[in-house]
Amino acid sequence: MAERPGTGGRTGRLPHRIETDSEAVQRDLAKLVLTIIELIRQLMERQALRRVDEGNLHEDQEEELGMALMKLEEAMGELRDHFGLTTEDLNIDLGPLGPLLPRD
Amino acid sequence: MADSVTYVYAITRAPRDDIAAGLEGIAGSPVRLVRSGELAALVSTVDAEEFGEQGLRRNLEDIHWLETTVRGHNHVVNAAAAAAPVAPLGMATVYFNDDRVRAVLDERAEVFGEVLAEITGRTEWGVKAYTDPESAQPEREGGADTAPERPGAAYLRKLRERRESKESSRQEAVDQAEQVHATLSELARASRVHPPQNRELAGYRGQMVLNGAYLVDDSATDEFTSLVGELAGTHPALRVELTGPWPPYSFAVLRDGN
Repeated sequence: MAERPGTGGRTGRLPHRIETDSEAVQRDLAKLVLTIIELIRQLMERQALRRVDEGNLHEDQEEELGMALMKLEEAMGELRDHFGLTTEDLNIDLGPLGPLLPRD
Repeated sequence: MADSVTYVYAITRAPRDDIAAGLEGIAGSPVRLVRSGELAALVSTVDAEEFGEQGLRRNLEDIHWLETTVRGHNHVVNAAAAAAPVAPLGMATVYFNDDRVRAVLDERAEVFGEVLAEITGRTEWGVKAYTDPESAQPEREGGADTAPERPGAAYLRKLRERRESKESSRQEAVDQAEQVHATLSELARASRVHPPQNRELAGYRGQMVLNGAYLVDDSATDEFTSLVGELAGTHPALRVELTGPWPPYSFAVLRDGN
């Protein structure tokens, strides 16, 4: 997060306002939210494939599932473009645990 | 506790006196030789506060300190390795004083001698292989023999194919890396496989599927390097990278529980 601590420097008390570049904050927040959505989306896709593999879905149910996931992917792409983010941006480095999302 | 300790970079055999001449070690300290019989250790005097047990525990967490120290350590080892066969010690190996170093040289003369014999006339080379993210080709299966698919079903099929092709190209790369390693190991005197390096720190793309070290006879240097080139050509799933020559860090790092 691109936050500069308040430059008020009043010791022992929190500054009333944290001075930040509001655009950067917005972008970072969007990045964080989209990352979480992307994680859930990828988990849903995996889960859907597992369901299909189990083979007890009707053809129509499979079609519906596929369509829903396709629309979700499209929507995700639009959101990314809107905020000017790449797929690589939507990843959080969890240090020793590696990246949050699998990298291609 | 004394205010200085002896830092050991490497062990060598019967070195010329001038091997350490003008060599600058950690924190600008001069490098000296501590001899015992046939063997000699390349050492510096360093601050006990900084390199003592407490100091090391603190400093090893400090990335800048670590970088400076590693560079200083490598500088000495590289310079010495250019002049004589040396067995490097792990970074930050320290003894209370020169007498302790001499005692260790005495006690472990046999082991040190064997290690030095093993690396004399040989050089370490590194070979890394990465998956090439560009080369993963999605397998196109024309669904000509089936009824036209509905878009949802087609999307699910694409998902599955993407997943399977990613998995199979990764597997392919791992298999090829194993072949590369096996071929190189036959030519090398000894080989080691290290864990893949951290992607961020090493700054590479794709996946590191081989991080191998090979101890090669100096007489086989050309043969080895051209073999690496050849293998890079015959294993299209991989990006192969040759590094070296190195001091024999992977084969001669001496550990001593002092």
